[in-house]
Amino acid sequence: MRKSFFRWPGICVALILLSGAVGCGSKSEKYSTYSFDYFDTVSVITGYADSQEQFDDIAESIFSELSEYHKLFTIYDRFEKMENLSTVNELKDGTHRVVTVDPRIIDMLLYAKDMYKKTDETVNVAMGSVLSVWHDYRTEGTENPSEAKLPTVGELTEAAKHTDINHMIIDEEACTVTLTDPDMTLDVGAIAKGYAVEMVARFLEEKGVTGYLLNVGGNVRTIGGKPNGEKWLVGIENPKEESEESYLAYLELSGESLVTSGSYQRYYVVDGKRYHHIIDPETLMPSEDYVSVSVVCKNSADGDALSTALFCMGLEEGMALVESLTDTEALWMLDDGTCYESSGFGKYKSETKK
Amino acid sequence: MMQDVKNRSVEKNSRRLFRNDMIFIVVLLLLVTAFGLWIYLVRGEGDRVVVTIDGKEIGTYSLAEDVTVEIRTGLQNEELNLLVIKDGKAYVETATCPDGICSEHKPISREGESIVCLPHKVVITVYAENEKDAPDIVV
Ligand SMILES: [Zn+2]
Repeated sequence: MRKSFFRWPGICVALILLSGAVGCGSKSEKYSTYSFDYFDTVSVITGYADSQEQFDDIAESIFSELSEYHKLFTIYDRFEKMENLSTVNELKDGTHRVVTVDPRIIDMLLYAKDMYKKTDETVNVAMGSVLSVWHDYRTEGTENPSEAKLPTVGELTEAAKHTDINHMIIDEEACTVTLTDPDMTLDVGAIAKGYAVEMVARFLEEKGVTGYLLNVGGNVRTIGGKPNGEKWLVGIENPKEESEESYLAYLELSGESLVTSGSYQRYYVVDGKRYHHIIDPETLMPSEDYVSVSVVCKNSADGDALSTALFCMGLEEGMALVESLTDTEALWMLDDGTCYESSGFGKYKSETKK
Repeated sequence: MMQDVKNRSVEKNSRRLFRNDMIFIVVLLLLVTAFGLWIYLVRGEGDRVVVTIDGKEIGTYSLAEDVTVEIRTGLQNEELNLLVIKDGKAYVETATCPDGICSEHKPISREGESIVCLPHKVVITVYAENEKDAPDIVV
């Protein structure tokens, strides 16, 4: 008779719920995983799932998609019974073949042609000849630092004669591509990662997946927000050691993409000076105006192409380009540490913290 | 008269019931709070550094304790990234990788910050559990 609480199931239920709320909160937990297998960089998947198994399933499907795009877009590897950009680049009897390729290659190359126009001819996937000169010198200089050298102006200008994107002939109907200049090659390094990330993100969105964040070598794409309705918090690294600020910016994203191109991401050293991997098509040298350029926009492919383009453009010209595009914002960091941002960049900044 | 006694008895009984329930609720609330605090203290063991090789976690180290860790990779463990944790910060002191980009990276100490060595497939990441509004990722 005195133990009335047994007759009060309501209170018991309420207390159990309360203890649950204090103890751990929502049932879905945050998981993450890495891979080094794609696009010569590190890929990180972060996502909320009810269990490790559920997360592993989705992560596996993401990696298998990334793997396909990697195989199609790489210019350094060939795979059995498969045409990819590497086989498009290869010469047979002194000329490029007409190669029948996967429609995903056609779509990406058409997109690349479009971005060539939109970026005022700054992002050019037909620059393979120039970029491969730099790639070879960088690889040799990295493996043998005391012998590290710069390409000669002669080599670069000779290579630059074979970078006309109009010599890339695409037949959409037949699903073929051919390069009509034998000395020309494709290098989609400036857009392939972002393009692949965008395609994988859409694949997930179509499956109704939400609460995931992909980061393939600095190409970040959020798929929805977090399960609790909050946005993803993304910090842009401040590469300057002496600076007090850990982050250049602290952003809240939900469905958007953030792509950062930085001179500190990939480089080699010649006579004590760093030479990074983003080559200005006009000077044929690494662009030295900025330490990093970050772009926030919906489409990660646009973000990738734009961050590369802005890296090679003057600030004024770049700012004008960004302001002309809808839902696209950018942040530039100069070598002396000063930052510039486009007019709407602030709307992505976190209020709670910097 | 009988009616009155009975009423009082019911009233007394229900008051005692109410008091029992209150004690029960208070005790349960205390237990729940203690449990929550315990979880918070045990799980929030402070800022730590997690090292992964090719995606597999190989070690966790507290940022609060100065330590030097040899991260070995390669077929004969011939490759090295020397991780140093000092004064609450982690950095790669030296590395045998060709590009040396990991050892040029500034020391890391805040949630989400990481140092990557692409040639060795090593990722060193900071998890600072007590940091409020910590980023999900730093790029
Ligand atoms: Zn390294």
